[in-house]
Amino acid sequence: MFREWFRYRSLIKNLVYRDLKLKYRGSVLGILWSLLRPLLLMGVYLVAFKYVVRITMDNYVVFLFVGLLPWSFFQGAVLSATESITGNASLIKKINFPRETLPLASVLFHFIQLLLALSVFLPFLLLIGNIDLRWIHLGVFLLLFIHLLFTLGIALLLSALTVSFKDIVHLTDLGLTLLFWVTPIIYPINMVPEKYRFLVKMNPMAAFAIAYQEIMYRGNMPELMVCIIILIWTVSLFGLGYWVFKRFTPIFSELI
Amino acid sequence: MDETVVIFERLSKAFIIKKNPVDSIKLKVMGLFDSRYREKKELFWALKNINLNVNKGEFLGLVGPNGSGKSTLLRMIAGIYCPTQGTVEIHGRVVPMIELGIGFHQDLNGRENIYLSTSLYGLSKKETDRIIDEIIDFSELGEFIEQPAKNYSLGMYMRLGFATAINLDPEILLIDEVLAVGDEYFQQKCLKKMNEIHRKGKTIILVSHDLKNIEKMCTRACLLYQGMIIAEGKADNIVKYYKEMVAHHQVGLNKMEK
Repeated sequence: MFREWFRYRSLIKNLVYRDLKLKYRGSVLGILWSLLRPLLLMGVYLVAFKYVVRITMDNYVVFLFVGLLPWSFFQGAVLSATESITGNASLIKKINFPRETLPLASVLFHFIQLLLALSVFLPFLLLIGNIDLRWIHLGVFLLLFIHLLFTLGIALLLSALTVSFKDIVHLTDLGLTLLFWVTPIIYPINMVPEKYRFLVKMNPMAAFAIAYQEIMYRGNMPELMVCIIILIWTVSLFGLGYWVFKRFTPIFSELI
Repeated sequence: MDETVVIFERLSKAFIIKKNPVDSIKLKVMGLFDSRYREKKELFWALKNINLNVNKGEFLGLVGPNGSGKSTLLRMIAGIYCPTQGTVEIHGRVVPMIELGIGFHQDLNGRENIYLSTSLYGLSKKETDRIIDEIIDFSELGEFIEQPAKNYSLGMYMRLGFATAINLDPEILLIDEVLAVGDEYFQQKCLKKMNEIHRKGKTIILVSHDLKNIEKMCTRACLLYQGMIIAEGKADNIVKYYKEMVAHHQVGLNKMEK
């Protein structure tokens, strides 16, 4: 699998490069849009939840950023990957190439924007939060990689299913909106009533958010349970996604 | 020269035609309870029991009326469709030219489009670097190569698309009626290039309604009708045969079927 992706690495690179170029070409602010969006989103949440709802936490801005940036990546990547097969019908019907490159390119496109946003905002967050850099913070790279695989698994699964069931697009959109509010991103997990806390943590998005917050906001190693939940979800979703995608690949060209 | 590069063995291809397409989950669930909402599937056999060997270095023409299965046959070789029954075996690198300008994007310039298109054919950046000058030369786009594709005329777009695919050094080249759009000069240039590739011992399979070209260029031809190969042989004989069939209208064809 990875060998074929390697052979077609210039295709993957060109697809990502094309999307990046097309996104920014001809716009005045260009690449700044990738930073402005999370920044403004953040500002609104900050006003709403710090000053209106009055969540009291130290460095709430840092907490918010640390959960929100990875979520934005996940949401954007899943939404665009879901339509990556149906949206490229003209290619699939006319030339044979590894179809996985399409959802993979969608996910990587959003991942690059996440890395960009992180590399710009992180120094500020460290400054605002008065956070000393420690070895544990390097764990975020591992977490990012696992998050990438997890997202890719979902992307493979949904992009393949969308070919047969057009409703998946709407379900995904709605599902992501709902998921956001049951994921501890704008509120910390300990604000959730104790008896529901376990249930909330089973949601893989929550486990990822908690892990990001532990590492980057608190500077701690995430608790073992969270790590296990993340690994189980990632391995099983990637496996399932890849299997379903491979199973459906031969009929893509006939159904779209 | 006897090496066989394409082998079809009793190949049939069916497409599922849905009479009342059910592609929403709601209707699928309703179908469990009420047969009115269930899909009615029908098979359409686009290719029936195809046996065909293509040898290395052949220039094969496929002729036949619209809907006879020529393009489906080509797509089977390109690996875009999978066989329903029987097998297809391919030996060598296939370059399909089913449409010109595969992967081109209106907002990218000529150079960027070449890189994107060749990578769809599996070329790395380095491999494209080696042939890009040849491609640009052949396309005769000149200064326009730095312009986004939306500023191209249809002819320029076609020229760039053809130049990109033809310079990929194919072992098996598939061409589906893509020459119809170019002007006389460019058509001649493309035909010349195809001949050149053929002389190098590569295999070309050409689908065309331009019977003159088939007669002039192909070493062998197959006549397809309703998903079957009903005649094959030397290109000029097949073309003659096909013309006679068309002249006798459907009568001749119905006899053939029996």
